[in-house]
Amino acid sequence: MKAGLTTSLVLHTVVLGFGLFTLSSPRPMEVADVESFPVDIVPMAEFAQSVQGEREAPAAERPAPTPTTRTDVVDDAERVGDNTVDTTAPPTPDPRPRPVETAEAPPPAPTPPTPAPEPEPEPEPQAEPERPEPVPTTEVAPEPRPQQEVAPDPVPETEVAEAPQEQESVSLPTSAPAPQSRPQPPQAQTARTPERREPERQTEQRQQATASDRESENLEDQVAALLNRDRASGGGAQRSNEQAALGGRETTGAQLTQSERDAIIAQLRSCWNVPVGAESSSDLQTTVRFRLDPSGTLEGSPVIEKASGNRQFDESTTRAIRICSQRGFQLPSDKYNTWSEVVVNFDPRDMF
Amino acid sequence: MALAAPGGDHSIWALFMQAGWVVKLVMIGLLAASVWTWAIIVDKLLSYARMRASLSRFEEVFWSGQSLEDLYRSLSERKTTGMGSIFVAAMREWKKSFEKGVKSPLSLQTRIDKAMDLALTREMERLEARLGFLASVGSAAPFIGLFGTVIGIMTSFQAIAGSGATNLAVVAPGIAEALLATALGLLAAIPATIAYNKLASDAGKIGLRMEGFADEFSAILSRQIDEKVVTRAAA
Repeated sequence: MKAGLTTSLVLHTVVLGFGLFTLSSPRPMEVADVESFPVDIVPMAEFAQSVQGEREAPAAERPAPTPTTRTDVVDDAERVGDNTVDTTAPPTPDPRPRPVETAEAPPPAPTPPTPAPEPEPEPEPQAEPERPEPVPTTEVAPEPRPQQEVAPDPVPETEVAEAPQEQESVSLPTSAPAPQSRPQPPQAQTARTPERREPERQTEQRQQATASDRESENLEDQVAALLNRDRASGGGAQRSNEQAALGGRETTGAQLTQSERDAIIAQLRSCWNVPVGAESSSDLQTTVRFRLDPSGTLEGSPVIEKASGNRQFDESTTRAIRICSQRGFQLPSDKYNTWSEVVVNFDPRDMF
Repeated sequence: MALAAPGGDHSIWALFMQAGWVVKLVMIGLLAASVWTWAIIVDKLLSYARMRASLSRFEEVFWSGQSLEDLYRSLSERKTTGMGSIFVAAMREWKKSFEKGVKSPLSLQTRIDKAMDLALTREMERLEARLGFLASVGSAAPFIGLFGTVIGIMTSFQAIAGSGATNLAVVAPGIAEALLATALGLLAAIPATIAYNKLASDAGKIGLRMEGFADEFSAILSRQIDEKVVTRAAA
C-alpha cells in the first residue's frame, strides 16, 4: 500500500504541477472591437421629433422649421432663425404684425445740437481789443474742427459776419474764416449710422472667428437675443424657405432609444404602487401624458389620455408620476427635446 | 465574496484561490479522493500481478509430483498467500484429523472443505479490499463536484446581485471557478470507475482460479480419505 500511495502522490504532484504551468491562463478570446448599436424601427412622427422642425406643424416627409424672412446667408449656422448670429435662444414670437421697416427706418430729424456754438464766440470778443488785424486769422484756424463735429449750422457764419461788423474800425477779415467755417451736412446727419453698422461688422468678425471664440460670445449673443424683442432676434442664423413641418426645436441627432424609453418605464415602475388586485388584471390600462422640465421634474400635472375605467387605478398612475418627479427622472439632458413630453401606457402586465 | 476582476489572472491556481471556502473544501476533498484512488489502483495492480505470479508458481510446484507432505512442510513454515494458504489450511485439518485417528471419513471431508472455504474467503477478502472505495469515488465524485459547482455559482450570483452588474465579464470568472469543482470530481471519478471495473473482474478471475484449485484439492483429498478408509478397513 505504501508503494501505491507514494506512486499516486508523485503522479498527482507531477500532473498538477504540469497543469498549473501549461493550463495557466487560457489565451483571452479575441473579440472584434465592434460596438453593437441598437436598431430601432422608428415611425415617421418620432423621427420628426428629433429633427429641427416646427412643433405644431403637420407631419411631412421632411421636417422643416418656419420659413425665415431674411435672405442673407450666414456661414455654418445650425439653428434656423432670422438672427445674424447663431444662438440657442428660442426665436422671438411675433406678438403682432409690425412693420419691419420701423426698426431700420431713419430716425426723426435729429435735434440740432445746441451747445456747440456757445464756446465759439467767447474767444473772439477777447481778441478784438488786444490785437489788430492778424488776430482773427490766427484764431479762426482752430475753429473749424469743433465745427465739423458738432455741426453748428449757420450760427457761426452769422457770428463771424457780425464780428467784422463790430470791428469796422480795424479791418475786414472777410477772406479767411468764410470757407473753413462751412459745416458739412452729411456728416452732421450720421448720428445713428455707427449703431447700425456695428452688428454687421461683428458678424463678419465672428464668421472668421474660431469655434471657441464663438462659444464664448454665444452667451452674450443669447442674452442679447433674449432681451431684444425685435423681430429678427433669438433663434439661429440658418435660413429656411421650406414649408414648416413637424419637428423639434433643434436637431438632437437621435430620438429617445428603446433603452431610454425603458429607463423611464423602469423609474415609473419603482414609484408605482399598483392597487391590490390590479396586478393580474388584464383590462386595466391607462395612458398618461405628462411634461417634464429639463431637470426631470414634472411640469404641470399629468393628463390621463385614456382612462382604464377604474378611478383608483388611474389615480395610482398619476401618483406614480408625481412620486418619480420628486426624485427627478434620470434622462439624458441633451435629448430634452425628445422627452420633454412623455406618453406612458401603464399596464401592470407589461411593466411587471 | 468579492467578484473577481474581469481580465485578471485566470489560471487554475488563481481560480482555486478565489473560490469560497465550501468550494475549496470540496476541491481539496476531491483531490484527496483522487490521490487515494490512484494509490489503491497502483497497489491493486501490483498485488494482483504478484498474486497471479504466485498462483502460477504454486500450481507448477503442486503438479510437479512433489510429495504433499514435503510441500506442506515447506509452506507451513512461512507466510502463504493465495492457493498456498488454502493448501496449508486443508493439509492442517487433514493432519490434525489423521493424527488423532479418523472416526468418520464423511465428517473429515466436510471439515476440510470448510477450512478451504474459509481460507478462500479470507483470500478473496484481501483481494477485494478497498475496491469499494473506488466504486464509491466513481459514483459519488461527480456529485460532490457538482455540489461544489452549484455552491460556487450560487455565491457568485449572490455577489453579482449585490454588485448589480450583469456584464458577462463579471459573471464568467465565478462560474469558471465553480466549474473547476466539477472538473476535479470528474478527474477523480473517471479513473476510479474504469479501475474498479478492471480490478473487480481481475479479482473475480483470481478467485475463480483459487476456487478451481480448492475443488481439485478437495477431490484429491477425498480420494485419499477413501483410500485410507479402505486400507484401514482391510487391515
